[in-house]
Amino acid sequence: MSFTVEPCNQETVIVRIGKALDFRNAAEFKSTCQTQVRSGARNFILDFSETGILDSTGLGSIFSLYRQVSPLEGQVVFAAVSRPVQVVVQLTRTYKVFRQFPSVEAAEEALL
Amino acid sequence: MAEHSILVVEDEHTLRRLLEYRLSKLYDVRTAANGEEALEQIAENIPDLIISDIMMPKMDGFALQSAVQSQHETKAIPFIFLTAKADEQSRLKGMRTGVDDYITKPFDIEQLLIRVQRLLERTKMFQTQLDAKIGQDFSQRLMPKSLPQVPNYSVFFHNNPREHGGGDLFDWMEAAPGTYFLTIGDVMGKGLQAKFYAFSFLGYVRSTIHAMLRTTQSPAEIMTRVNHVLMDDPPMQETFASLLLVRWEPEAHRLTYANAGHCRPLLITPDGPEIVEYSDMILGLDRNAEFKDTEVELPADSALIAYTDGLTEQVLQSGQIAGEQGIVDASMRAYGRDAPIDAMLDDVLNRSEEDEFGDDILVLWLQREPLEIDWFSPFAADVK
Repeated sequence: MSFTVEPCNQETVIVRIGKALDFRNAAEFKSTCQTQVRSGARNFILDFSETGILDSTGLGSIFSLYRQVSPLEGQVVFAAVSRPVQVVVQLTRTYKVFRQFPSVEAAEEALL
Repeated sequence: MAEHSILVVEDEHTLRRLLEYRLSKLYDVRTAANGEEALEQIAENIPDLIISDIMMPKMDGFALQSAVQSQHETKAIPFIFLTAKADEQSRLKGMRTGVDDYITKPFDIEQLLIRVQRLLERTKMFQTQLDAKIGQDFSQRLMPKSLPQVPNYSVFFHNNPREHGGGDLFDWMEAAPGTYFLTIGDVMGKGLQAKFYAFSFLGYVRSTIHAMLRTTQSPAEIMTRVNHVLMDDPPMQETFASLLLVRWEPEAHRLTYANAGHCRPLLITPDGPEIVEYSDMILGLDRNAEFKDTEVELPADSALIAYTDGLTEQVLQSGQIAGEQGIVDASMRAYGRDAPIDAMLDDVLNRSEEDEFGDDILVLWLQREPLEIDWFSPFAADVK
């Protein structure tokens, strides 16, 4: 499986996470985002609306992305966070770093 | 994405296309028309196996093979010669250069596929065995060989590292007479890489605690320092970890902890179970993250249970993960047993979809005895 990326503007992209982000596809997520950063993306809206599994390896790949874009004044925001994702975010206390929005549209509005 | 990538080096267009077509059903295939092109391809992306013709313009197969042999990164790539030169001399020269296989044209493509598969499997088996060996070694080094022995307390510990598991770690030290530091953490990632990062990380944590103990006994201050190390030190830049750092003073029955995004411990007292709630952000993400010390009193006949996420993420028969509540329930049922951790784990397994744990399991169970035992009593219980 691969991740769908939709550009919003020059610097902002939406990444659809799909059913799972875990140790099986975390590397792929990393390289997908890296390609985006190289071509100028700074802000990432992650769409979790269909996501049932987010394990620590998957979360780690999101952290790597955050560390890449934060020196460039970029942001990583979470949209349509499902319950399983919510649990992980709560536990790791990372909601202080990743702003959350009820929907992709709401996230776009805030970032653009 | 196929599991393995193969580089086909062949100057004859038709045969190159045929090989590419047949192999690409199973593997990621790249092609090159001569040795020079092959080296360019290898510089870009190291393949898992090379199939190469011998007679080619610009740079022949022998030259390519010795170039690959001379490079440390590419030395171990399985190499198959494919050639029309059925004469004995070439075959012997080919074998002398240390290739793994030698196939003369015309050849049967099914034969070639079988040989390719066999070579890749063999290489993978070596790798797996090596990984397992190193992983086991790291796993052992990430755990202490003994446990604190303290009057009026029983300390239980269980750890079951899995080969494909992650970087769970546990450590303890007696910082001053009667003051202990307990460290439980989980470095993000899976497999050997995570274990290696966990091993380095544990070294950092230990040396930070030792260095800071001269000036502070605050877990939060130590945590802040460890976070700065992860943020500022280039080799640790891809390392994210959750960490629970506990200062334990058994005589005062007091625990003082800082929690960086780790699974929240569970406290079982005569009044029932409660989650030790307060925690701060995971390490390695935000340089400005702040950490706070929280105190917990351990009344007589109570226990503190700390663990890693392999336990909460275990999938139950219901299709749901065990979660915090699942661990609370299992611990309550195991409470008071002689081997409480084993009882708790059995309880979780009995409710699981599979009959074993899917990830690393690590549990620390700190039990304060119901009655204070007189130091000199002949009936003093064995402290394990």
